[in-house]
Amino acid sequence: MSSDICVRVNNVHKSFQRGDEILHVLIGLTLEVPEREFLGLMGPSGSGKTTLLNLIAGLDTPDEGEVWVRDQCISQMNESRLAEWRTRNLGFIFQFYHLLPVLTAYQNVELPLLLLPLSGRQRRQQVLAALDIVHLSDRIHHKPGQLSGGQQQRVGIARAIVTDPALIVADEPTGDLDAHSAEEILDLLGELRNSMQKTIVMVTHDPRAAARADRILHLEKGRLVDEAPEAARLAGRG
Amino acid sequence: MKFMLLVLQNVRRNKLRTTLTCLGTMVLVVVVTLVWSVLTNLQAQLDQDKSKMKAIVTERWRIPSQMPYAYARGLSEGAARKEGDIRPEDSMSWSFYGGSTDPEKRTRESMLFAIAMEPRKMTTMLDELDDLPDSQAQELKRVADAMEKNVQAIIVGKDRLAALKRRVGDRFKLTSINYKGIDLEFEILGVFPPGRYDQSAIMNIEYLNRSLEKYERETGRKHVQADRSMNLFWLVVPDTAAFNKISGQIMESPDYKAPAVRVETLAAGVATFMEPLKDILWGMRWLLAPAVLATLSLVIANAISISVRERYTEFAVLKVLGYKPWQILTIVLCEALIIGTLSGLLSAALTWLVVNHVVGGLPVQLGFFGKFYVPAAAFWWGTAVGAGTALVGSLLPAWTACRVRVAQVFARVA
Ligand SMILES: Nc1ncnc2c1ncn2[C@@H]1O[C@H](COP(=O)(O)OP(=O)(O)O)[C@@H](O)[C@H]1O
Ligand SMILES: [Mg+2]
Repeated sequence: MSSDICVRVNNVHKSFQRGDEILHVLIGLTLEVPEREFLGLMGPSGSGKTTLLNLIAGLDTPDEGEVWVRDQCISQMNESRLAEWRTRNLGFIFQFYHLLPVLTAYQNVELPLLLLPLSGRQRRQQVLAALDIVHLSDRIHHKPGQLSGGQQQRVGIARAIVTDPALIVADEPTGDLDAHSAEEILDLLGELRNSMQKTIVMVTHDPRAAARADRILHLEKGRLVDEAPEAARLAGRG
Repeated sequence: MKFMLLVLQNVRRNKLRTTLTCLGTMVLVVVVTLVWSVLTNLQAQLDQDKSKMKAIVTERWRIPSQMPYAYARGLSEGAARKEGDIRPEDSMSWSFYGGSTDPEKRTRESMLFAIAMEPRKMTTMLDELDDLPDSQAQELKRVADAMEKNVQAIIVGKDRLAALKRRVGDRFKLTSINYKGIDLEFEILGVFPPGRYDQSAIMNIEYLNRSLEKYERETGRKHVQADRSMNLFWLVVPDTAAFNKISGQIMESPDYKAPAVRVETLAAGVATFMEPLKDILWGMRWLLAPAVLATLSLVIANAISISVRERYTEFAVLKVLGYKPWQILTIVLCEALIIGTLSGLLSAALTWLVVNHVVGGLPVQLGFFGKFYVPAAAFWWGTAVGAGTALVGSLLPAWTACRVRVAQVFARVA
């Protein structure tokens, strides 16, 4: 496999049992994401975007087909290997931030580091660095309830990058934010790609968010329909 | 333990629920501690010091047992009459004399029940008094010696003394309840060391005997209780063989036929006495205690499973971050363990403190038993009960927490 592909999804099928019927969510989906790409995934609700993201993040396994991230076939790993892999290689950004309400911003960002063999000092350095990147150095001892939505999402991003993973996946990261906060978050994601060389896969409904992506893919009924032409992307920005 | 912070924050999260769970746990641990204290105390009575066996002589056919005091002399020799008969190592007679300081009315405060016995036997025959620290032992010996010389002397426990509103050195008169017409006047010579005898009193049997004789001289007839003034007789024997031998000597002797007597080991005597309580004790041990433990587990299981259900999304997030099922399981179990252990320890400590040092022992006034105290071991029982039931109660919720399917949790959300 060529070394400049970060994510490779190969002929993946995924279906769910829904009562008596079987719901085919992903049907033979194939996808490659080069290193350092900011990929936008769009599609109607229920089209399987989150399902695809979960497979790429190793949170679920495909019924058929393979998912590779760099040189690891994550669709073959067991639950415990996957957990370890996620800690070091994947950052996940949620629509609803999902910070632990009892912990401060600092403690939330520290959570993934607790799983790694680091000294308290190393952890502290990394947490502070991550919070600095998201411009929250002055809010480290605030609890989520004391932060705005945009600030919470920034903590969420700091938590996603604190272990310095190569791949960041984001499921509608601006879906719950006002326009201004959304812009800030998108700026940050762009920054992660540009200056930190991260590969980003972002699911979004928001055309302005999609406009920030290098490439946009449309998912419909479990298949990729087409790669949105450059023109559409530029139009979206206007 | 790097996750301790998370555990502690979670415990503190819903203070009301944590407090209620702790209170529930504490109440139930108190019940368990009390039940076990009673059982342990009774068990301790049954497992008397085996190197020093006590034989107890009572009237065979009647309850309460009332024997002539004249039996005492022969029984103190173990009824030894012929060559080869053996004698007990020690012995004492028990009589009970009760009265009121207020001749008009008897109130709880004015009543006094005294054991009438040979004062010098206090220091050798009575549980706990035979095994005091040196300074207390010397003081008791001094009082006992003084009581041998002064028949009107009495030694009273501190609580009873306080209830009577009397002090050492005071004299007082009792109007008798169980020896009609034999009203005695006492001089308080001492107080028992604090503990088991706080509500008791001991007088010299000689005083009762002389008073009964005086009654006969003055009225020209025997007092109705004159030949039935001895309630129990205790003998100390070295072992079961000696017990069997002496008990045979007493049973074969013609001197103890009217009324007839029976000889038992103290343990057997206690067991006989406890016979009617057997079902209650059985129920306490095998029904009440397990029921309380089961309830306790359910209380904890309920609280933990509510808090787990509220946090499915959080556990899913932890999994996304790379937390493994066993780590999540540990976090939930630790939360329960903290709650259970702390409330267990706290309530055992409180029970111990309140029962032993505030109330001054559980006043379970049963026959020979003194008060019941909560053993110091309750500290670790309480803690173990709290921790154990918390562990059992939280296993299932912790298991569901660690089995959370991430994809499903978020499928519901987004
Ligand atoms: N764990 C699951 N169990 C059953 N059905 C699921 C599960 N996850 C997703 N689905 C169903 O699969 C379809 C695609 O879901 P999803 O990938 O979340 O769509 P999108 O994110 O594009 O809106 C939906 O109909 C959803 O209800
Ligand atoms: Mg979705």
